Amino acid sequence: MRSDPVQPERLAGTGPVQPEAGAVAPAMSGAYISVREVSKVYGRGRDRVEAVHRASFDVPKGQFVAILGPSGCGKSTLLMMCAGLEHVSSGRIAIGPRTVDGPSRDIGIMFQDPTLLPWKTALQNVLFPIHIMGLRKAEHAERAGDLLRLVGLAGFEDKKPHQLSGGMRQRVAICRALISDPDILLMDEPFSALDAISRDEMNVLLLDIWQRYSKTGLFVTHSIREAVLLADRVLVMRRRPAAVVEDIMIPFERPRRPELGDTREFVELCAMLRRHIESQT
Amino acid sequence: MTIRADGSRPASVVEAVALPVLTGLAVFALWQFGTSSFGVSEVLLPPPTAIAARFRDLLPTLLVHTGATAGEIALASGVALGGGAILAGLLTLSPGLYGALMPTIVLFQIIPKIALAPLFVFWLGIGSPSRLVFAIFLSFFPVLVSTAAGLQLAGSEAVRLCRSLGATRWQILRDVRIPSAAEHFFSGAKVTVTLAVIGVIASEFISAKQGLGYFILLASSRADTSAVFAALTMLCIIGLGFYLCVLAAERAVLRALYG
Ligand SMILES: Nc1ncnc2c1ncn2[C@@H]1O[C@H](COP(=O)(O)OP(=O)(O)O)[C@@H](O)[C@H]1O
Ligand SMILES: [Mg+2]
Repeated sequence: MRSDPVQPERLAGTGPVQPEAGAVAPAMSGAYISVREVSKVYGRGRDRVEAVHRASFDVPKGQFVAILGPSGCGKSTLLMMCAGLEHVSSGRIAIGPRTVDGPSRDIGIMFQDPTLLPWKTALQNVLFPIHIMGLRKAEHAERAGDLLRLVGLAGFEDKKPHQLSGGMRQRVAICRALISDPDILLMDEPFSALDAISRDEMNVLLLDIWQRYSKTGLFVTHSIREAVLLADRVLVMRRRPAAVVEDIMIPFERPRRPELGDTREFVELCAMLRRHIESQT
Repeated sequence: MTIRADGSRPASVVEAVALPVLTGLAVFALWQFGTSSFGVSEVLLPPPTAIAARFRDLLPTLLVHTGATAGEIALASGVALGGGAILAGLLTLSPGLYGALMPTIVLFQIIPKIALAPLFVFWLGIGSPSRLVFAIFLSFFPVLVSTAAGLQLAGSEAVRLCRSLGATRWQILRDVRIPSAAEHFFSGAKVTVTLAVIGVIASEFISAKQGLGYFILLASSRADTSAVFAALTMLCIIGLGFYLCVLAAERAVLRALYG
């Protein structure tokens, strides 16, 4: 994949997707997160909403997948089902050999809202998962400090959330998602509440973190540029029915730098994606 | 000192201190002037100066009664605050319990509970227990409802975060719901201590050999209006004292949480 020409591999339809031979590096092959014919129905009778309609896809270990789509198309619902925070109405989601039926320690989550506890300091917020999991805080305090330093928050360990900017809070939330060293990171539009400049900074930071920790990731966004810059692969969802309609590999090599966004290949790929999305609606 | 909702202090000292003090003084002046110049009988409404003099004379007696009353108020408030908060926690831990009990508790509030005071004497006798239980019964509701609302309101996103970490219901209560309910607890607590004062005084009217309520009842049966007002002044001081205690605790807790 790394040396492929800049030409997205478009994989057909919504059915089970097998990564094309050679499209995925050997270390990534094999499904790690497997989503099979998953539907989600909220309410009943006249209130019935099918938030997700028969979604199927596989994510190999180490892959970063962006889920792209207009608001209300079921992206959050899909992510929350992967996180074990919502039940599937039908179908099956598995992580490794285990069927997802509740929250798991292998998963770190980031929401659109940083969801920091306002009475805890930045450091205490990062250590919150350790506290809840009943692990030794002293053993993780050093790692928490390292993470805060990595995201540029050295010196802010003892500040409370109201003393931090929106971008800084979301950085704390990244550290919190990473503190227990989960294999999987699920992110639901984590940067969409930020201003454009902070958002660009966070994208750079996330690229760096990915390079360093190589997790498996699902990243929900409605920004085409963000999806193409960050992800190895983009799943496009649409509304009515709320289904995964496109599965596109992003061929740019890593490590990626933000300047990638200025290259012609990048711009063309974004334009092509946009056309795909428009043709779906 | 008043602190506004957004945490800012009032614009000026005049606005914060001078204005209310002046208004209060004006009321007293009008009262003093009105009673003397229209020849209002001191039995009907004694002027402030007469009340002040009487307060000074009666102070040793009043203090004895104050001790009894304040002690019962403190005990009743403490039990009402603790019990109300713990019950709110239990109701939050168990949605079933919440559904089963909350409507009944709310329904109870529609009864003018003060009217039940004589029943408590009938049930528990004329001693301290009947006064305490009645004051608790009268006052626990605001802190319970307010705290329960605060515990329920705790950010659903923070709760979702906890669930994603596999937190137990108890952990969510301890680490998220209780800290975020602190403000609600204190706004209910302010009403609760006020009601506890009313509860104890009302019971003292009915059954007591001591206390400010007893003193007021005795004084008014003798048409000793200035003594009634002197005791009333003492009651205001006690009420204010309890209120300020809650306010101080609130500031300390909120500062520890968010400072
Ligand atoms: N808890 C819920 N109860 C009922 N309907 C819901 C609930 N959550 C989401 N929905 C509905 O499901 C659809 C998809 O929502 P969501 O997954 O949040 O979309 P997205 O994240 O793509 O904006 C929307 O129509 C929304 O109204
Ligand atoms: Mg969403």
